[in-house]
Amino acid sequence: MKKRLLLVMFTLLIVLTGCSQATKSNPAAVDKNELVFASTKDIRDINPHLTGGELAAQNMVFESLVMNTPEGVKPKLAEKWEISDDGLTYTFYLRKNIKFSDGEPFNAEAVKKNIDVVVANYEKNAWLNLVQVIDSTKVVDEYTFTLTLKTPYYPTLEELGLTRPFRMISPKCFIDGTTANGVNGYAGTGPYILAEHKDNQYALFSVNENYWGDKPKIQHVRWKVMPDHQTILLALQNGEIDLIFGADGDMLDANAFSSLQDEGKYVTKISPPSGSRSILLNSKREATSDKLVREALQYAINKQTIATGILNDTEQIADVLMSKSTPYANIDLKVRSYDTQKAEALLDQAGWAKSDDGYRYKEGKRLNLMLSYNSDNAQEKTIGESMQNDLKAIGVELELLGEEKQAYFDRQKSGEFDLQYSLSWGLPYDPQTYVSTWRVPSHGDYQAQAGLEKKKWLDQTISDVLVEQDETARAEKYEQIFSYVNEEAVYLPLTYSVVKAIHAEQLKGVSFNVSQYEIPFELMYFE
Amino acid sequence: MKQYVIKRIAGTVPLLLLVTFLAFILINLRTSDPAEIALRVNQITPTEEVVQSMREELGLDDPFLIRYKNWIMDSFQGNLGTSYVNKKPVLDELRQAIPPTLELAGATLIIIVFFSVSIGIICSIFENRWQDRFLRGFIFLLSAMPSFWIGLLLMWYFSVYLGWLPTSGKNGPSSIILPAVTLSLTFLSTYVRLIRNNMIQNTQENFILYAKLRGLKQSTVMWKVFSNSIQSALTAFGMSIPRLIAGTVVVENIFAWPGIGRLCVKAIFNSDYPVIQAYILMMAVLFIVCNLLVDIVVVMIDPRLRREAK
Repeated sequence: MKKRLLLVMFTLLIVLTGCSQATKSNPAAVDKNELVFASTKDIRDINPHLTGGELAAQNMVFESLVMNTPEGVKPKLAEKWEISDDGLTYTFYLRKNIKFSDGEPFNAEAVKKNIDVVVANYEKNAWLNLVQVIDSTKVVDEYTFTLTLKTPYYPTLEELGLTRPFRMISPKCFIDGTTANGVNGYAGTGPYILAEHKDNQYALFSVNENYWGDKPKIQHVRWKVMPDHQTILLALQNGEIDLIFGADGDMLDANAFSSLQDEGKYVTKISPPSGSRSILLNSKREATSDKLVREALQYAINKQTIATGILNDTEQIADVLMSKSTPYANIDLKVRSYDTQKAEALLDQAGWAKSDDGYRYKEGKRLNLMLSYNSDNAQEKTIGESMQNDLKAIGVELELLGEEKQAYFDRQKSGEFDLQYSLSWGLPYDPQTYVSTWRVPSHGDYQAQAGLEKKKWLDQTISDVLVEQDETARAEKYEQIFSYVNEEAVYLPLTYSVVKAIHAEQLKGVSFNVSQYEIPFELMYFE
Repeated sequence: MKQYVIKRIAGTVPLLLLVTFLAFILINLRTSDPAEIALRVNQITPTEEVVQSMREELGLDDPFLIRYKNWIMDSFQGNLGTSYVNKKPVLDELRQAIPPTLELAGATLIIIVFFSVSIGIICSIFENRWQDRFLRGFIFLLSAMPSFWIGLLLMWYFSVYLGWLPTSGKNGPSSIILPAVTLSLTFLSTYVRLIRNNMIQNTQENFILYAKLRGLKQSTVMWKVFSNSIQSALTAFGMSIPRLIAGTVVVENIFAWPGIGRLCVKAIFNSDYPVIQAYILMMAVLFIVCNLLVDIVVVMIDPRLRREAK
């Protein structure tokens, strides 16, 4: 009896395993017309005038008048443009015979409607300086459009070319004449159209058959949502996805990237440096209000450990706040490299004397600092631990305070931190959008600079540089800005962020746009 | 019996109120201003005026108890509020996410029943011999592993190494196997033990001895043992259903399964309070209802309890 029962059980087990074998998939046979891209995030609402959607998806469907390239601003939907001598009026000559994917003609009227709704939705778009300075828009004739500013603003063209909010969507998609509360379709002029979207599962993009420019070679791009990083890695190894692409540990942590690099079965690519990752040293807090202390901290951190040990060399060591490839940042500034002796000497000079327990004290108080970070970000914690170690060596106690996103923002706004991370937005937002936020009190940068003697002057100079028409004068002002924060040592530069891409060998043409948030799918092809 | 059922149903109302009230308090204990969060998730700089207008829009200026009352009343009318993040009604979000989770929970239940019954029986037959010890040890080991880890191991072995199954996502019947197996492992060891011990206990009962003495066929005797052993396991299975659904949180994230577990995690990361509250409410209702049903079924099955209920 026992034997018979066992036999039945084992037969059942075998049948069950057999079942799974029968349903096995064959992921190797990828439809070569379809590129599968994995992301931890859904594309969400890709309305180009709002910030709710994924930038890379918005970029596939919607285009701007101009585009940002490594060689500067180039024509896109506008063939050419003229800027008046006072820097207030921009006249755009539009490309003819372009239609939105719903058949609506692209013309000056459509451009005016798009820009007007973006400016009208001021509350949501005021994060971009250009939105604040636009005065009026005018249709001159069917293919000529003028934009008038309240004050001159030098990064106007760069900001018009950003992935949002100034991208063109068919006016037919507006609801009640606006896009502020959503749109009823996603008809753009871009190389792809959104063919299908299943919330939190996938989005399917297909080639825009009437695209005015060079049509992409890959017919379909499937954007798959996979919330877990490890799953993305396994899916790549299983051939279910073709491409992983992203910045700042978004899609891949540094470990996974280098292990795939070592495996040699995939192509790995790293973009030129884009954003800057640094630590704010709060000039308004007791210990860090002393410039000597701030300088000492700069000498105490071993950035090599961070770049190599933690980030696996996927980011470059930053000697100064902005990389030299950032516009207006190619200047000679004081570099404070790792030198613990110098750090200790500076702390001695500042009156913090080392005691028997290895820590430094002044008037009976231990030199204790607090680094606040967003606890969602595992990498920031690890970097913090490395700094904790470095600082302990020179007698400084560093407390790590990880908080969830909202609490972190609250702390940022109140300025109740000694050290906090600061990330610039990367090109083409840098340097103008980054320095512009230094003037906003809800940003950690503002709070950290608030104790500086010339903070008022700094804010004014930033406001001035944004409206400066003269190229030389502008460069001079940027030099003053960067030199001042460098001299005052309020930023502890760590690394420059890069975009990482990993893909199957048969996928070609993978490159990087200027913006780290865009993915140039339209240039990719299979071989 | 009828009276008992009515009494039990009436008893769930205060319980439900208590649970939702506690959940409401906990969420309101957070120091961050929900109005500011609602603005920030939409990338609006929270200046004082916008925060104030958002507070009014969300009704945050009302006293705490009024807000709780409004929320409960709205919820009973099927209005669970709107998500801060995508402005969609929470009810629609739940409606979309529930079917995949139910599918996953259903498949998991089938796996649990099949394996716990078969392994439980094998273990009881080989009571305390090496087969029994090995199987129990093995199942125990699997249950002890955290599901995010075992999930990835299974994914690596069956998808990447053997190439049998897709790693993740929800497409086709084969994609449910790995998440369902991962989810079932947490529960297997409990039920294997339960069925095994019941079987062993029942074999020693007098009625089995009599059955054997009457010269009934071995298979008939075994069936009697089994059918008597399965009863208590069934009620335990009933209570597993809400636990299963709550347990999908981790598994759904690893396997990119578009269910409520993922909805909940996403809501937590975004501090999307209306969604979190709705999730808690739904889970509370589910636990309470399942508990109630199980209790009623037990009373119906067991004559002793039935008498007590009267």
